[in-house]
Amino acid sequence: MTPPDPGTIALVALGALLVMGALAPLETLGWWAGWYDDPVDERALDPVSGHPDEAAATEPQAVSAAGDGPWVVFLTGIHAVGTVSHARREARLVARLRAALPHGRVIEVFPYSVTNRALTGERVFAGLWRWSLRAKLSGRRLAQIGGFLINVRNLWQVLVSADRRYGPFYSRGSAELIVRSLRRRGFPIDDGAAGARVVLVGYSGGAQVAAGAAPFVRDRTGAEVVVVSLGGVLSADPGLLDAERVWHLVGSADRVQRLTSWMFPGRWRLLSWSPWNVARHRGRLRSVVIGPCDHTGIDGYLDEEAFVADGRSYLDVTVDVLAAIAGGETARLPVAA
Amino acid sequence: MTTPLDLVLGALALDPEAFQALLGPGAAHQRLGLAVVYLAGLSMAVGQSVALFAARVSPRRFAATLAVQAGLFLAAFLVWALSVWWVARVGFDAARPLRDVVAVVGLAYAPQLFGVLVLAPYLGGPLQAALSVWTLLATLVAASAVFGLTLGQAITCAAGGWLLSQLLQRTLGRPVVRVGRRVRAWVAGIESTPANPPEARR
Repeated sequence: MTPPDPGTIALVALGALLVMGALAPLETLGWWAGWYDDPVDERALDPVSGHPDEAAATEPQAVSAAGDGPWVVFLTGIHAVGTVSHARREARLVARLRAALPHGRVIEVFPYSVTNRALTGERVFAGLWRWSLRAKLSGRRLAQIGGFLINVRNLWQVLVSADRRYGPFYSRGSAELIVRSLRRRGFPIDDGAAGARVVLVGYSGGAQVAAGAAPFVRDRTGAEVVVVSLGGVLSADPGLLDAERVWHLVGSADRVQRLTSWMFPGRWRLLSWSPWNVARHRGRLRSVVIGPCDHTGIDGYLDEEAFVADGRSYLDVTVDVLAAIAGGETARLPVAA
Repeated sequence: MTTPLDLVLGALALDPEAFQALLGPGAAHQRLGLAVVYLAGLSMAVGQSVALFAARVSPRRFAATLAVQAGLFLAAFLVWALSVWWVARVGFDAARPLRDVVAVVGLAYAPQLFGVLVLAPYLGGPLQAALSVWTLLATLVAASAVFGLTLGQAITCAAGGWLLSQLLQRTLGRPVVRVGRRVRAWVAGIESTPANPPEARR
């Protein structure tokens, strides 16, 4: 039997990619239409860390009343399969943020499922995602290509959030999850949250979900909502206009973020009326280069073994900047020297 | 032996022989054209089903509405095929039985079998436009094949047929179009007016 030619392989891959894309909005649409008996997996709202050495990542912080400290909601990048990231570096980031914000709360929410179902949980394709996760964690280069399927699946969810047809539904669903998580951690939604500050920190694709959910979180909680995009794969979402402030933090070596600014036409300077550019002109959206970081991995935002000139690691810089924004100390952000 | 799948693949590849094979002596695939159009309508209905989800219709009504929409798609196609047939006959003296035109132009709808992919976020609009252009090209190839027309004549025939079908739908066919919409709304359980967002019965 002769092996298929590269053209056929490319065509099949393109077809599979488009089929994944066509399936991508169905979870959100089905949730909106009320087709699921059990619409949200409540158990996954109280995650347990996947890292024994990162116990601090899930240790409860002292409960703070509204107004005492920021409520930080961390929305993970597109490599994740559930609420708690399997990526060691992200777990470190969350632990460090918790330590840096002793009067605040840091909560994790899985941003790529409006029903909060882990990909490896109760799903039709759970077996596929479990295999893909094993491949991702195997450390073998060839097997990791299989692990990349998870990234592709979650990237489609980012596009669902950015799509005009589906975005409003997806953003409502994401906001609902965020509000539920806040409530379970003691956020005083029903007792009046005036003066409270909710900071939605979206890493990579999580930033798009954060921007979309911002207006709905604000309406549901009455809190001041700040969006922080960390190397965000972010469209010109209308939600950018409803956030109190939007911080778009980028690394000078982050090519993924640069590609994104080209991929979403609403971010082109030419389209001055797009929500992105309007938010920028109003001074609500600020882009800040925090250091020479890449998007992920070695030399990424969360790398503890790469250092800037002032001696801090890339992770230190990221944590310092995020903590300063969450704490409202934004006059001079502690970016890399 | 030429299977229906071969013919559909040929139509997708814009191969004139696929359309001519449909007209051959003893061709058993004349109903294939109608089947392709109905399935294409079903696929396109799924691709454009956001409004049904937004109106929160139940799964049962959702499936029924897709079937009705595919039927309406088929009806619109028949009007278009009739228009093409008439324009070719009057404009270019190209005589062919109407059933041949229905079969061949129906097969030209094969690209719309991928209509379900219009669901893909962010790429849905460009994909739909690409499928429309693909279908138009296939229709031109089909018209050339069935009537023996030049490319320019086939374009005139397709454009004239489209204009005529639009005219028919907006004049004589208006009550039929209205009934079609009502049937669809009834099956979906949606009561909508321009002033009010749709509300669905469960």
